[in-house]
Amino acid sequence: MEKAKKSYKRLRSAKELNRVVAEFYLECHEAKARGKPVGWMPPMNGVIEIFYAMDLQPVFPENWSPVCAAFGLAPRNFEVSAGMGFSRDLCGYLRNIVGYVYGPMNEEGTPLGGLPEPDLIISAYGGCVPAMKILHTLERRFPEAKVHTSELPQVGYEKIRPYHLDYCVSETHRLIEWLTETTGRKLDYDRLKEVVRLSDRACELWDEIMSYRRFIPTPISAAELGVMFVMVTRQGTQVAVDFLTGLRDEVKERAEKGIGMIEEEKLRLFWDNIPMWYNMGLFNYFEKMGGVVVAETYSAAWSMRLDPDKPIESLARKSLVSYPMVSCTSIKKRRDMVLKACRDFHIDGAVLHSNKSCVPITLGQMDMKRALEEELGIPSVVIDGDHMDANNFSVAQFQTRADAFMEMLLEKKGLTP
Amino acid sequence: MTAFSIQPFIEAVHDSRERLAALASRGRKVLGYFCTYTPIEFIHAAGFVPVRILGGGTPIEQAASLTPTFICPYLRQALERALRGEYGFLSGVVQGYTCDVACGLINIWELNVPGDLYHTVPLPYQDSPDARKYFRQALRELGERLADIGGRVTDASLAASLDLYGNIRRRSLDLYRLRSQGRLALSAAELLSVVQAGLVTPPEDYLPMLEAFVEAAEARPQASERGVPVLVSGSVIDQPWVLEVIEASGARVVGDDLCTGLRAFSPPTGRGGDPTDRLMDRHFRRFPCPARMKAQERAPLLVDLAKGSRAEGVIFLIQKFCTPHLADLPVVMEALEAAGVRGLTVEMEETGLNEGQLRTRVESFLEMLGD
Repeated sequence: MEKAKKSYKRLRSAKELNRVVAEFYLECHEAKARGKPVGWMPPMNGVIEIFYAMDLQPVFPENWSPVCAAFGLAPRNFEVSAGMGFSRDLCGYLRNIVGYVYGPMNEEGTPLGGLPEPDLIISAYGGCVPAMKILHTLERRFPEAKVHTSELPQVGYEKIRPYHLDYCVSETHRLIEWLTETTGRKLDYDRLKEVVRLSDRACELWDEIMSYRRFIPTPISAAELGVMFVMVTRQGTQVAVDFLTGLRDEVKERAEKGIGMIEEEKLRLFWDNIPMWYNMGLFNYFEKMGGVVVAETYSAAWSMRLDPDKPIESLARKSLVSYPMVSCTSIKKRRDMVLKACRDFHIDGAVLHSNKSCVPITLGQMDMKRALEEELGIPSVVIDGDHMDANNFSVAQFQTRADAFMEMLLEKKGLTP
Repeated sequence: MTAFSIQPFIEAVHDSRERLAALASRGRKVLGYFCTYTPIEFIHAAGFVPVRILGGGTPIEQAASLTPTFICPYLRQALERALRGEYGFLSGVVQGYTCDVACGLINIWELNVPGDLYHTVPLPYQDSPDARKYFRQALRELGERLADIGGRVTDASLAASLDLYGNIRRRSLDLYRLRSQGRLALSAAELLSVVQAGLVTPPEDYLPMLEAFVEAAEARPQASERGVPVLVSGSVIDQPWVLEVIEASGARVVGDDLCTGLRAFSPPTGRGGDPTDRLMDRHFRRFPCPARMKAQERAPLLVDLAKGSRAEGVIFLIQKFCTPHLADLPVVMEALEAAGVRGLTVEMEETGLNEGQLRTRVESFLEMLGD
């Protein structure tokens, strides 16, 4: 098995995260063993909270892809999906998960025990096309699973109107009715309010943690981005709140004591687009010349608040805004968010990952590059890559570009490497 | 003009830029769209001319600095043309959300090309009372946006536009029917030219041209039964010569699953109490694009289409990097093979197709079908 290059982590919470990850997958397998309905679903929407509120087990196939990348399983999965006729030009998340479920799925030695097979599939029309196609393909692979297909309007963040939200609310009610009928479990409204309160608290802590990136040196960097696992899989639970509280305390303490990521932080960088999950060590590469990746676009996906007194509306809204915040449905909004982050976090330069596996995030990057330069005088460099497939990424080319970029930034600041 | 001639259609495509620019300079607003799921009847009912944006094989220069290389050639070329000023007559772009690239492209277009209106309609996928209620509001919003630039949609104007486009689609389907019956001496490339003219001509001008052409075609039946019958499947084909090469290689295109073809016409109209109902009804009953339906639901429809047109094989002409088509390919291929229909996949790249290579591939595919 090819060993992926992990990032070097400096926070205590990173160790804690390993425990949270292992426990999540253990919980998934135990749920299956105990006969608790296991549902596979798309990431980043309000279905998670409904599952936790109804005591159902959520499983996130898209999130399994970064796990496969980190454990070096992706190349094998790509072979399987290519053999089935899935083009190598398709998104790596799609090619990976399809290869995983159609390959020797949970053979002995699969990290974390693999994914338990679904009893329910929350399929979708909405979000990006590959995300939809992943779920549609999973439906075919698991014909025994019961399927519900939800709709989600694909509307730019700044263009959301009440009628979009109304439709999401009616779709959320339709999902709840289906889950109730299919599993025989009733949704306790008070329990849902509590779950939404926990979800809101997680978002609040998330924003607070991210805000400490304004400190120089930064107490947390993109190398620690794995912490978003709790936002993807544990939103609406005390587990997420406890983990994030610990992380917040640690980050706050480091900020107050002026403890950074490296000895001398000379350059503060911004990363646009999804990381290369098979090579998270890239985030540490910049350190040799004093560069730290202070912030990234992806973390904005959880920068929102939920109202526990209006749980259904809050979850509908969460579903509606999560995709636009990180995609080309809202190039202007995304550009504004990146500019704000670069301003707030005192960024010297931006690294734009031109990601073959994610067209929705890559489109608009060049307009963002121009805005960074023209409005903030922040230079940026484009790195060709792929968040899942190492074959579409050249380490040597990355190093050459990154070195030249950092030399230029250092010179601009009158510093030496 | 002799009625049974495709020359007027070829000229309509060739001169479209000048004609549309003249129209725009006389004060009639022209709005572009990428995808046939865009509610063009609504745009027309507002008093504007909807025009499908085509890529036309334009070499990429300026668009290279705004888009990555791994998006479909069609949309990259379309942006290139806009940046070169070739779409200067457009007052903006209105688009129905179908694929991620089209969605991103309209936003990039808006940031880089001046215009009065840029709007994406988030379309529902599955028919239901809630979906229709939502869709009606999305169309109302589109109406408001069109009103912002001086348009006005009324029930009467929408009904008239639905009738007009309904007639165009009906007449286009007549051509398909005649052709599948072997009663139309028209190559697939020529048929595409006829269709293309409809995408870039005001519908009130196009319908009489089409009607005259269909009438003449019906009056002068000629057989054209040579070649191995194949169906062509894909998205946009905006260069008729591609079909010319396929037919010159020994195939006869007896049907298509293209959005520059059958998918744009079928069904011609929708049912309903008011004009908005009719528009929505057609939307939900369309022969689907892979971006709008699960592969496992679309595959049997494609099998029926291939079988119904008596095609012996299906040639997939896919825009390179087209996620909806590529993601469905293994599923539809499996369904076709199970039904005894074989498939060939050809990806259309930005630099165009190599004619010789295409010919060789089609020839060996046809040989295989003959075995």
